[in-house]
Amino acid sequence: MAKIRLEKVNYTYSAGTPFETRALRDVEFEIKEGLVTGIIGHTGSGKSTMMMLLNGLEKPESGRVLLDGADIWEKPKEISKVRFRVGLVMQYPEYQLFEETVAKDIAFGPKNMGLTEDEISARVREAAGIVGLDAGLLEKSPFELSGGEKRRAAIAGIIAMKPEVLVLDEPAAGLDPAGRERILGTIQNFRAQTGATVIIVSHSMEDMAEVCDEIVVLLEGRILMSGSTREIFSRADELRRVGLDVPEITGLMLRLRDMGAEIDSIPFTVKDALPKLMKLLK
Amino acid sequence: MNNISFGQYYPANSLIHSLDARFKVICAFLYIVCSFLCKNILSFAALLASAALLVAISGIPPKILLKSLRPIIFILLFTVVINMFWTSGENLVFSWWKIRIYYEGIMNALFIAVRIVVLIVGTSIFLTYTTTPIALTDALESLLSPLKVLRAPVHEFAMMITIALRFIPTLTEETNRIMAAQKARGADFTTGSIFKRARALIPILVPLFVSAFRRADELATAMECRCYHGGEGRTRLNIPHSRPRDYVMLLLIVAFGAGLILINIYGIGYTMK
Repeated sequence: MAKIRLEKVNYTYSAGTPFETRALRDVEFEIKEGLVTGIIGHTGSGKSTMMMLLNGLEKPESGRVLLDGADIWEKPKEISKVRFRVGLVMQYPEYQLFEETVAKDIAFGPKNMGLTEDEISARVREAAGIVGLDAGLLEKSPFELSGGEKRRAAIAGIIAMKPEVLVLDEPAAGLDPAGRERILGTIQNFRAQTGATVIIVSHSMEDMAEVCDEIVVLLEGRILMSGSTREIFSRADELRRVGLDVPEITGLMLRLRDMGAEIDSIPFTVKDALPKLMKLLK
Repeated sequence: MNNISFGQYYPANSLIHSLDARFKVICAFLYIVCSFLCKNILSFAALLASAALLVAISGIPPKILLKSLRPIIFILLFTVVINMFWTSGENLVFSWWKIRIYYEGIMNALFIAVRIVVLIVGTSIFLTYTTTPIALTDALESLLSPLKVLRAPVHEFAMMITIALRFIPTLTEETNRIMAAQKARGADFTTGSIFKRARALIPILVPLFVSAFRRADELATAMECRCYHGGEGRTRLNIPHSRPRDYVMLLLIVAFGAGLILINIYGIGYTMK
């Protein structure tokens, strides 16, 4: 079943001026419910535009965005309800923190939803738990946190709205390996606890291989291919032809196979590759 | 927020684009003086013709120029109305109840309208449309450099303007990003009382200021890493060169001003006071 469907979606920036750029052309695809879908593509391939379309921050020029089968722009005045259902974590979300305390910042979204005080504080605690923020940090100023903590606090601000779909733009960009690990853990944690649909945009094929069930590849505003992570990463040649790549470990395993090593199925994560490599070394 | 336009520089390959920015600043100033020298219908006609000529050689589409006039339409209408109804003269053209319109008033209103339009068009042709903001601040620094004798921080002033201009598009983009992020959390900037809307700006302003200070700090560090220490002994990448065409343009404008004075002396028709 499709949670979100894009139907013949077109989007153009600065229409009617010399700076006109078509960001999306006749994009048509589905995001399956309860899965983690990754979107990959070059800078300017239309990824960010697509994220803004999913929660109604941008309106498609033509075509429809369907959430559970209903056009999100049917009642333009109620678009903010869609934004609560489809939570968007923008790139570098720590730059949107503004409140005096972390708890208040996380509560900003739920407050805008018009929830009761009790419900809000319950949600703040729950969201902080999912992203792994200590209760002691909640009363601190968000500007006192470390980079990774800020990022997780900002993500908690979206999770506290209990979205049915969580959209994240480059959630691990600019973090150290430990920070990246924790963010990816947070995402998996969130999915496990809520069963929500997750959409991730990233440049890192390694991150994608680790957390995604499905992958969509965008090229110049069109869908180049989509399918399960295994399907997509087994088409390494096609990906490389358009300047994208497969995870490094996959590239290594493919080269080993080309050199004559016997590998039954190509792995995408280091964890899966390890036993296969050990077998080869014996 | 999307309609904050940054400068109005219109890239083209015209004679005016190729002039030295320092000369363009002086030309713009002299052109303003010229527009105030006009006193009668002949000189205003010459002024209008000169403006048309400038537009033609600047290669800037008149449509774009008209856009720059839009913000001053109110001032224009206001001055026209004031001059039309409040100028008294000898030749009464129209009178009804307490309203009297004189021939002199109509001419004054017309002249002043032409003067304002030519002022805007002239300065935008010489400065904003054909000169990049960076070239303009460089020119200002160069023209104001005599003030350095008086210990005025001319270079620092120019550097401040350059940096401010440079950051306008960056901060605009930042504002849009933050607005989108807060909208995604259900922030609403468009409904409610003025008080509520002002409060709704806090989630934008706080992150914007934080990021502006962060950027300023990073920029200062980056400048220091490259040994920036103010204007003392600093050389330039682009040293401005004056060419014969710059002097020709300057002479043309001076000659134009002299011509206007002559027209005033042997003027015909109504003369504005």
